This record gives sequence, structure tokens and C-alpha cells, in this order.
Amino acid sequence: MSLYVNRHSLVHSVDPITKLYYIGAAIVVPFIAPSFHAAWVCLLLSVSLLLIARVFHRAMPILGFVAFVLATVIVIQSLFHPGNATAWFHIGSIGVYQEGFWYALGICFRATNIVCAFSILVLTTKPSDLVEALVRKGLSPRIGYVLSSVFQIIPQMVATMGTITDAQRSRGMETEGNLLVRIRAFFPLLGPVVLSSLLNTKERALALQVRGFNATGEKTFLHEQQTYQYSAVLQWGLIGVVIIVVIWRILS
Amino acid sequence: MSFAYEAGRDILKQLSLEFDHRSTALIGQNGAGKTTLVKLLKGLLRPSTGDIFIRGINTKEVTVAQLSRHVGLVFQNPNDQIFKRTVLDEVMFGPLNLKQDRHAARESAVLALQRVGLADKLEANPHDLGLSEKKLVSIASILAMNTDILILDEPTIAQDFAGKERIKEIIQSLKAEGKLVLTIIHDMDFVAENFERTVVLNQGRVLLDGSTREVFSHKELLRQACLDTPYITQLAERLGIPQTILTAREFIEWQQKNSERRETNAQHM
Repeated sequence: MSLYVNRHSLVHSVDPITKLYYIGAAIVVPFIAPSFHAAWVCLLLSVSLLLIARVFHRAMPILGFVAFVLATVIVIQSLFHPGNATAWFHIGSIGVYQEGFWYALGICFRATNIVCAFSILVLTTKPSDLVEALVRKGLSPRIGYVLSSVFQIIPQMVATMGTITDAQRSRGMETEGNLLVRIRAFFPLLGPVVLSSLLNTKERALALQVRGFNATGEKTFLHEQQTYQYSAVLQWGLIGVVIIVVIWRILS
Repeated sequence: MSFAYEAGRDILKQLSLEFDHRSTALIGQNGAGKTTLVKLLKGLLRPSTGDIFIRGINTKEVTVAQLSRHVGLVFQNPNDQIFKRTVLDEVMFGPLNLKQDRHAARESAVLALQRVGLADKLEANPHDLGLSEKKLVSIASILAMNTDILILDEPTIAQDFAGKERIKEIIQSLKAEGKLVLTIIHDMDFVAENFERTVVLNQGRVLLDGSTREVFSHKELLRQACLDTPYITQLAERLGIPQTILTAREFIEWQQKNSERRETNAQHM
């Protein structure tokens, strides 16, 4: 259980590490490039990648949430940005200014771009593949395990929460109804959920040790390494773009 | 009544069942829909089509909490249920939810714990108990609610002989009080000894429904549903005993009667 959407597409076939490079570039480039246009070009690229991977609709809920936060940024900057000079129009005595609006729009494009870049990774890569790719790159298997268990533990806790809620409803605890009833029902359930997660973790640690998790020596991998023939080209290309943007910034 | 978790994939297919005072065992292979049926009876799930009435109450019209006054369900895994720090608090939780005052709730709880043989562990932390004792705590916590209908999901799991005998006693005394005991169970010997009626579920449908003796006489149908008959029934059958034997006691009685008959026959000759 994860956000991963199993499809066959160009984006899906790219290896996880290259996608991490892309995230890095998507964060760095629009912020360093001394041009407003860089922001929307990058955003357009990220959105196109989501569309090519046919997962754009799955990114919508995340983007919707971000859009809500960003809308407030636009409102506040349009009204109160320190550089505000040219008023578009006035609502009563409050002016709405162009400078603040464009400044806020730049922020929105950059932030949305970062969210899209992360969505590309999360929606088109199995969490376990990502962790395995990182371990191959030299990440300690212990940290790799911690990472992958984070991906597992949340859906697992949701499931446990469901069962425990059922058990308490069965004993007459009112969990349906208005918000107050729900909140009152929620807190007593946290204890058993956390406790059972801890118990599970302990059991799992024992099971791992029994299967030689702590054994020293070279470890092999169950899955064949996912390779993409243009990985190196893409990774160097992304590094190249970042370098060019940095030079552009210094020269301008 | 039908039920589906995902539209179009019915888990239970047009079931029509009526439960009466007879203690009833629900059997069937894994995935047959037993637990789903029980959750529907408890109101935790609501039928996709059709209705379920518990003592005239439609499960669609009340909350699970309201229904808990009438139907008690002991979950298969006691860890899903236990969440208080002492055994007594755990068992008192249900009665308190039913709006009993603290004194009455304590009394029901102590009584229930006596019935499962844990009266000496009132102040113990339930999480420190072993699995079989935890299961008994979870049974007690439902007994304390004194519902007319009691559903047990795999009550004999992790129980040794003494534990099973204890659960058997509880079931018998509930029957004597006129309560409906329903159970999901894989232990056919336990079914034969304790349940009057048996319902066999297979792929979301009722394959067999009748008195336990009658159900266990349909060996071939049971085999289709990947179910076995009790060991003593199998033994009797291999020995060529014509009737369906359900318990060791019945087996011995039949043998004794048979040998008496043989003796009298021999005397006549």
C-alpha cells in the first residue's frame, strides 16, 4: 500500500535515482535562475512528465491542498508586498498591486513545481524500489529498512486503527455522530494503536534478526537492478543544467 | 441479503438466514464469508442489498454502539480489543458504555471474570497475560454486557484442554439462560459437542443448514467445501457404524448397546 500507481510509461521506466536528481534540479533551478520565465517553464515540464506518466489525476489532491495555501500567498502579497507601487484596482481603501501579484505568482510556480517533482517520484516509483536503489548506492541497509518501514507503517496503522475502532464500537462506544463524539472516541483508541505498533515492531525486529539481518558480509539483492539506458545522460544533463543556471545567475 | 466490499464483487450472495435460540456454529473454509457475515450481524458492516433485523431492529437504522446492547462479539484476536490497564477496567468498559453505574458495572465485571476463571487477576495488566488468558478476558468483557446474542469468533484458538473445557462450560450456561450463542469455528470436534445447529458457508452461499448431526452426515458436500467431519464421526464411519456419531460418549454408548445386543443374540442361540 502506497501512493504508487502501477503503469507502463516512459517516466515509470526511469530509475529512482535519476528521479531524485530531477527533484534536486526542480528545487534549485527555478530559484537560482534570474528569470520569472524559468519558473513557469520548469512547472510546465514537471506537469508534462506527470501527464506522460498518466498519473496527473492522482497528483490532483496534493496539488489542490497546496493550491489552497498558495492562494493565500497571492492575496497577501498582492495587498502587502513591500515593493507594491502600481495598483491594479481598489477594493474600498485597499489596493491590489501588480508587483506583489507577480512576485506571489513566481513563488506559486516554484512551490508547485517542487510538489510536482516529488509527485513524479512518489507516484511512479515503488517505495521499496527507491530504498533498494539507495542501498545499492551505499546507503546503510539499516537506514534503508527504517525508510521502507515508514512507508509500510502508516497504512498498517490505519488498518489497526480500523480494527480497534470496530472492537470498541462493538462494546458500545459511540464513534458515529457529530464531531465532538468522534473526537471523544478518537483519543482512547490512540493508546492501543501505538502499543500494538510497538509490539509489531519488536516482533518484526526479532524476525529480521532470525533471518540474518545483522549478518556481516556482502549482501545480495532479491530484485534485479532496474536500469534505464539513458540514466547517465539524464543525470549529467540535469547537473549540467544546474551549472549553467548558476553561471547565468553569476553573470547577470 | 447480499454484501460486497467492492461494487460488483459480492462476498455474500443472497443469503437468507434466520437464527433462533439454538446455539449455532458457522463453519466454512477461509474466505467463505464467515467473518463478514458476523460483522454484518453486529452492524459493523451494512448489507449492500436486503436487510438484517436483530430483534426487530434494522441494523441500517442504528449505530453499532446502540446495537451492542443486544449483540456481543468477541473478536478473534484479543489484542484488537484490549486497551485498558487492568483486567477489571477492561471488562467494566462495556457495561459502563451501556450506562450502568460504576457499582453495577463492577459487579457485572467481577461476575463475568469469575465465569472465565480470572477472578484472581482483577488488578493485573491484561497485556501481561498470555494469549489464552487474554482471550478469556475478551470473552469476559462481552459476557459482562449481558447481551441476548453472543458471537464468538474462533473461541478455542490458543486454548489448552482446560481453557476449552472452560469455554464449553460458558457456552452451555449461556444456552441454559436462553441466549443465542453463535460462533465461527474450525474445530469440528468442538462444534459436534456444543452446537445444536450448524450452518456451512461456501463461497458466499449457504451450502448446508440444519441440525449439527444432519450437517455432519453430508460427508461429500462437506468435502466439497473443504471441510472435515469430527474425528469420532470419521472413526465411527470407518468402523461401519450406520448412524452419524458426534461425540465420544455417543460412540461408547453405541458400542455398549451393540455388544449387549450381540450378547443377547448369543444367549438366544
